[in-house]
Amino acid sequence: MMGTGFALAAVVSDAPLIVDALGRLLQPDTIARILIEGLGKAAIYFIIAVGLTLVFGLMGVLNFAHGAFAMIGAYVGGILMVLVISGGTGPFTRIAFFIVVAAVVFALMTAVGSALEIGLVRPIYDRTPMYQILLTFGVGLILEEGARIVTSASGIQPEPTWTGAAGTIPHALESFYSILGASIRGFYMFAIVAGVLVASAVWLFLNRTLYGLYIRAGSEDPEMVEALGIDVRKAFTVVFGLGTGLAAVGGVFLMWDPTWGPSVLLNIDVLLYAFVVVVIGGLGSFKGTLAAAVIVGVADSFTTWLFNTGIVAFPGLPEVTIFLLLVIALIVRPQGLYGVEEVGGH
Amino acid sequence: MSEADAPTADDESAGLLELEGVHTYYGESHILEGVDLSVEEGEIVALIGRNGVGKTTTLRSILQLTPPREGTVRYRGEDVTGESTHEVAERGVGWVPEDRRMFGYLTVEENIRVSVGPDQEYEPLREYVFDLFPDLERFREKEARNLSGGQQQMLAIARGMVGDNDLLLVDEPSEGLAPMIVDQVVDALREASAETTMVLVEQNFPLAMDLADRFYLLDHGSVVESGSTEGVTADDERIRRYLSA
Repeated sequence: MMGTGFALAAVVSDAPLIVDALGRLLQPDTIARILIEGLGKAAIYFIIAVGLTLVFGLMGVLNFAHGAFAMIGAYVGGILMVLVISGGTGPFTRIAFFIVVAAVVFALMTAVGSALEIGLVRPIYDRTPMYQILLTFGVGLILEEGARIVTSASGIQPEPTWTGAAGTIPHALESFYSILGASIRGFYMFAIVAGVLVASAVWLFLNRTLYGLYIRAGSEDPEMVEALGIDVRKAFTVVFGLGTGLAAVGGVFLMWDPTWGPSVLLNIDVLLYAFVVVVIGGLGSFKGTLAAAVIVGVADSFTTWLFNTGIVAFPGLPEVTIFLLLVIALIVRPQGLYGVEEVGGH
Repeated sequence: MSEADAPTADDESAGLLELEGVHTYYGESHILEGVDLSVEEGEIVALIGRNGVGKTTTLRSILQLTPPREGTVRYRGEDVTGESTHEVAERGVGWVPEDRRMFGYLTVEENIRVSVGPDQEYEPLREYVFDLFPDLERFREKEARNLSGGQQQMLAIARGMVGDNDLLLVDEPSEGLAPMIVDQVVDALREASAETTMVLVEQNFPLAMDLADRFYLLDHGSVVESGSTEGVTADDERIRRYLSA
């Protein structure tokens, strides 16, 4: 009993504080803050996870290197930002540079992803999924260790985070603004705008272009698409490249995110979040990824608030909650929110 | 064979499609054991035989979905063995597969759109198909998985017809359909055959004989009988011994 009491005391710090915090939770400004910050986090999770789900949906490949692509994006983005930003660079110029850097990282990593697909993933399509998992996990580890070596040699902190890159954020995005009575960090509003733009661009690509139609058809039945005269392997390369590029862009956003920042640890941490989003949403589903990113983002924001207000004195609460959501989803709806029973394959 | 004798794309006597000594395997299972057949432009050729004799595998071998390990597949006189499936399809070979293989989460219209090549003009083909299958036009915004079996079969045929194909490989088009729907499917196939040559795999023997000009009877992975369908019935001794269980 005493042991249990001790454990509870470690987690729940103070009963009157709980009552006070729960009272504040019901306030509109608290709800607004949790929701808006949650949407900001959701936007970044979506940008990262959508590539993972598209790759699985079309190719049936579970890409365990996806987190490493985000990690590389955070570092490359950070290095480019540090190179172009000086102390006197104004806020709008910093944001403009950020957008250009995100575009450069996207282009670069899309090319890297396409090359990886052609050189490494393509030769093992016809093998069992275990080969793909081992290969992509291995690529992730190589990229992580490579980043550790390069950053250490360059005087950049490999972990916990490289603060130099985080310091390129304009003051305007670090400041808090009053929205619906809640005090919201500017960065999360910036992330929401970016998330909406990326989600719209991906949706338009999938639903309003012929190539997007091929990809959606290929996600259901790649063999049939091939029999219609469409080179589905080319579509695999395009999607793997785009997925890599999007993960890297997500990494560029994490560079400025106050709860993340560039770190070699992003490889595994981001991969886990991305997998949770993709599994809850339904493997291969764009709509599901969007919905699940919002659920995970808001849950993350809520549990971070619980920790910050002192109601729960357990810093790992957001991670635990998110994995709890994953477990619940797997029990209640194993195919995910919008998943179909079987997708992918080649 | 000298170089001068080798069939070329311009050699009309070569036939539209020729299979020569085709051996196809699934893993270690030897399914096709030396299939020889030829199809001339404009005809409907039926592949008949009991379940599991290799009819569907023959179609898959033509499309290189299950590439032959031995033998040759020639299309318009050119050897296409070992080509990618999409390359064979680009040559003008369409497929209406056994289980229809709709893209269930795409709408009817998207299923048709995805079948039209990027270089083809879509609108006239769309109108042509919707004129031919008014049901499909009515349900054009509906996801294909919500169509009835008959409507799905119509869509599968429509998909094969819009693909600028000179040869259509049609696998079990009447399977699982009510007799009234089968009549509609037959009408659609006749319409399609006015535009394209057809290789038809069909379990319904009278239907196959009614539609086709010639037939190949397969048994244990090779052709055992072939000829004109005229006057051929299931009571014919050479047919009956291979079709009866």
